[in-house]
Order: sequence, then C-alpha cells, then structure tokens
Amino acid sequence: MSTEMEVDEPQRLPVTVTKPIPLTYDLAHLTAFDSNPLPPLTPQSLEQTLHSTSRDAAQLLINQILTTVPLTSTQDGVFATLPAPITPLPREKPVPKPKEPTTWEKFAKKKGIAAKAKDGKMVYDEVSGEWVPKWGYKGNNKNGEDDWLVEVDESKQEDVNANPRGLSRAERVERVRKNERQQRKNEKNAAASGASSSSGYKNRRR
Amino acid sequence: MLQAVKPKNARSKRALEAREPKLVENEKTTLFLRGTTASAVVQDALGDLHSLKKPQAIKFQKKNAVHPFEDASALEFFSRKNDASLMVFASHSKKRPHNLTFVRFFEYQVLDMVELGLDAESFRKMQDFKNAKAGIGLKPLISFSGAIFENNPVYERMKFMFLDFFRGNTVEEIDVEALQYMISISAADATDEEPNPKIHFRCYMLKTVRSGHKLPRVELEEMGPRMDFKIGRIQEANPDMLKEAMKKPKGQEMRTKKNISVDPMGDKIGRIHVDRQDLGKLQTRKMKGLKKRGRDEVEEEDNANDGSDLEMDDDDIEMGDDSVPVVSPKRARVSAPKKSRVPEELD
Repeated sequence: MSTEMEVDEPQRLPVTVTKPIPLTYDLAHLTAFDSNPLPPLTPQSLEQTLHSTSRDAAQLLINQILTTVPLTSTQDGVFATLPAPITPLPREKPVPKPKEPTTWEKFAKKKGIAAKAKDGKMVYDEVSGEWVPKWGYKGNNKNGEDDWLVEVDESKQEDVNANPRGLSRAERVERVRKNERQQRKNEKNAAASGASSSSGYKNRRR
Repeated sequence: MLQAVKPKNARSKRALEAREPKLVENEKTTLFLRGTTASAVVQDALGDLHSLKKPQAIKFQKKNAVHPFEDASALEFFSRKNDASLMVFASHSKKRPHNLTFVRFFEYQVLDMVELGLDAESFRKMQDFKNAKAGIGLKPLISFSGAIFENNPVYERMKFMFLDFFRGNTVEEIDVEALQYMISISAADATDEEPNPKIHFRCYMLKTVRSGHKLPRVELEEMGPRMDFKIGRIQEANPDMLKEAMKKPKGQEMRTKKNISVDPMGDKIGRIHVDRQDLGKLQTRKMKGLKKRGRDEVEEEDNANDGSDLEMDDDDIEMGDDSVPVVSPKRARVSAPKKSRVPEELD
C-alpha cells in the first residue's frame, strides 16, 4: 500500500504556479519579472520565502521556455531558439558609422558612374597566349620595363641625360605614389568629417 | 587620453579591429578590482562574483587608490586598457563598510555607478555551500521578484543594472541542458520603518524532477553566493550619453510581415483578403438543356460536324452573360475561392 503511494507520488508533483499578477518574461535574457509583492520577510522565514518565490519563478520561466519557444532536437541535445530581447539595455560602444565616401565615390555618384564589375586579377595576354596577372609579380602592367631595346620618346624625355630605360617604371611608381597620396587624403577627410559629425554628448559636454 | 594607435602588424590590427564598435556587440567584459582597503568579506564577494562572470571577466590582484565617486578617471583608463565595460570595485571603510561599486561604461566612459553595501552578517560565500556548482560561462536564468522593482525608480534602475550585468551574451539558440542555475534578485516592499529595503541576491542550482506531466518539476538548491545589499550612493547616467548608448542600429530589426501574427499561445495566424466571388463564372452542373447557343455557333457546329467535345468547352465560357442559370448551391464547385474577410489559420 505504502509503496504504491510512493510510486504514485512523483506523478502528482505540480508543475503549474498561479500568481495574482502574471509574470512577464524576457526570454532572450532568460529573465522573469515577478511584480507580485513578496510575502512579509521575517529573519526566521527569510531564506524559506526567498527559496519558494525563486522556485516559483524558475518553474514558470522553465515552463515558458519549454512551451512558447521553438525547440529543435539534434544529436547534440535539445536547443531552444530564443526570441529577440525586449528590455532595452545600453550598448557598450556607439553604433558604427557608415564609411565616409572617397572623393572619387562622391564624384562618381554625382556623375552617375557605376562601379566597374570586378573581373579578377588574371587577364589574357594575346601575345604569349597565356593568362597573366594584371599587377604584381610578372604583372601585365610591367610590360616593356625590361625590354632589351627601348624607343626614345623625345617629347617625354625632359632630361636629356636621363636613362630612357627606367622611364616606364618611373611612371608606374609615380602612379602608385599618387594613389597612396589620394588614399591618405581621403582618410584625413573622413576623420575630420567623422569627428565633426559625431553627434552627441561629448561635444555638448565640452 | 590615449593616442590612436596605428597597427604595425596583422595581429595587432586584428586585436584593434576586435575592439572597434560593432553592429552586433560582443559580450561585455567585466573587470573586478579592489581599493586600498577591502575587508575579507568584500574580497570574498568580489571573488564569487568573478567566478559567476567567468570567462568574460578580469580580476585585478593589486590595490588601487581610487575613489569612484570622487574621480573615476582611473577606472575609465582601466576600462579602455582592458576593453571592459562593466566593473565591480570593492572597498571597505568605516563610513561605508563592505562596499561594492557597480560601474557601467559606454565608450570607455562612466555611464552610471551604484554603490551597494554588503551585509557582512548574512553574507555566505560560494564555498560555504557544499554542492555542485554551475559550469563556467553558462547563461543564468534571472528572476526579479518584488513589486518594488516596478514602482520604485531606484530599484527599477537596479533591476536593469543587474540584468545588464548578469545576462551574458545574447544568443539565438541555447541548449536546454545549459539552463543550470538561476540568479534570483528580490526585494520586499518599502514600508515606513524600512523605506529602502535590502536587495536579496541568491544563486540556486536548478534540479528538474520528473513530474508525470510533459513539463518537469523544477526544484532549487542554493549554491551561493548569498548577498544582501543596501543601496548607497548612485551616480545616474548623463541623459545625452544614455541616449547615445540606447541607440539601436538601423536595419537590424526583423521585418514584420504584413498580416502574419503570432498569438499568445505561439500559433501563427495569417489574415488573407480576397476579392468578391464572381458567381457568373461558377462551374455548375452541365446540362444540355441549359446551354445557350448563338447562331454562329450553330453554324460552326454544322461545319465541323464532329464536335461533341467542342460543345462541352464552350459551355463554361458562355455562362458569364446576364442569363445566369439556375444553380443548386450545394453542387457548386468554386474554381478559385476568393471572397472572405475571415481570418484563417495557416498552420
């Protein structure tokens, strides 16, 4: 008789809790807000009261997670997909600002020039019949730099004594330098406009 | 003020990029440190809070001659150096015994600070409870009990502070097995004798028992630490700074689909709108006697003399005129159901 009772007993454990004010939840943070006033706390019953209210909250929270949230069972276990957070909490750092457009991007937008589609680094070389890189090691932009015979262009030759061999390389290096200068200028402009347009508390405080 | 550093190699570049503001933020790092004087009680409390916050936590060992409410610039420096935006500062003095200062930072600057006086009598450290502890780095369940967290602005602020402090990372999915422990924060209501009731901080391990129902029965076992806090000084957030910190990045929110909603039971409900049904196009029972035939049709039939199936096809088209045949509604088969303003359940 008594053994039967013991067997039956786990069947009867209540899993529902009724509260005068229903709890609210923020399941993204696994949080339950119980706005019912606590029963009066006396030093003797304090731990007992806290334990029982916490147990109720835990039971309700677990019930809420297991019933309202989509559960997926995989080989690694059962996963609950949590909803988006409800409680607004402050960020750690400000929202990142979008990148400042470069001078070229501004100009291209004004003129309605679409960006060229990226078609990779390799290009087909008609002369050799091979695919060669556009730039870099054995790049196509270095064509003619190490020819054994160089045509002297009188109009480009400012200094008569200059070696005509290095001219095309010098031109290429100068293009690279120009691009770097433009990059630096864009970075500087972006930093300046970013600092001035950073709205908010810092500027007003100073 | 630290200068902007230009990375000299790829590793330091990656490290700097990890600290940049992000659209979806990483978990906040918490820094634990002590002042020049700190009692054993408050140091134990600091250590226990550190073990709850691991691994996204850094604990300093040395003493720091800092008074957060007088000059927090040293804390701001630590925050920047360690990329930590939460901080707990332990101190002890005659005037403010067993003090824990909880600080939040935004952009390495102090957002708000709260001083909590720890009750040394009721404090029990984690080791005092001889039982299994929760695994490291697990997301806790959190509960706030007490009406005072809703109706008292100071306690409400404390609620958000604790929530921000212990929530851990925002995850999309969580293993149900990982719901191992609960942080329970409760406070009694304010009365005339006790206008500022203590905040009771308890940590419990969750034990699930088979209940015979589909849901398990949850039982709790205290794992510590046990802390009772008295609220001390508070430094509120600068409203402009708080506004900046509360900004939500655009384009992150889910696009709500029109006319689809989820009811409190978790069922998906869709509402559809359809046009008025055109009864003229109703497919009815085909009867030879009801057939309306024009003169040209008769001629056509005479020309192509084989067409009994042709008649059948014309039947459907010709119904649309003003002479709607007598229809028995029971037999009517609607080809495309179109008019109803009644919400229908999709799933």
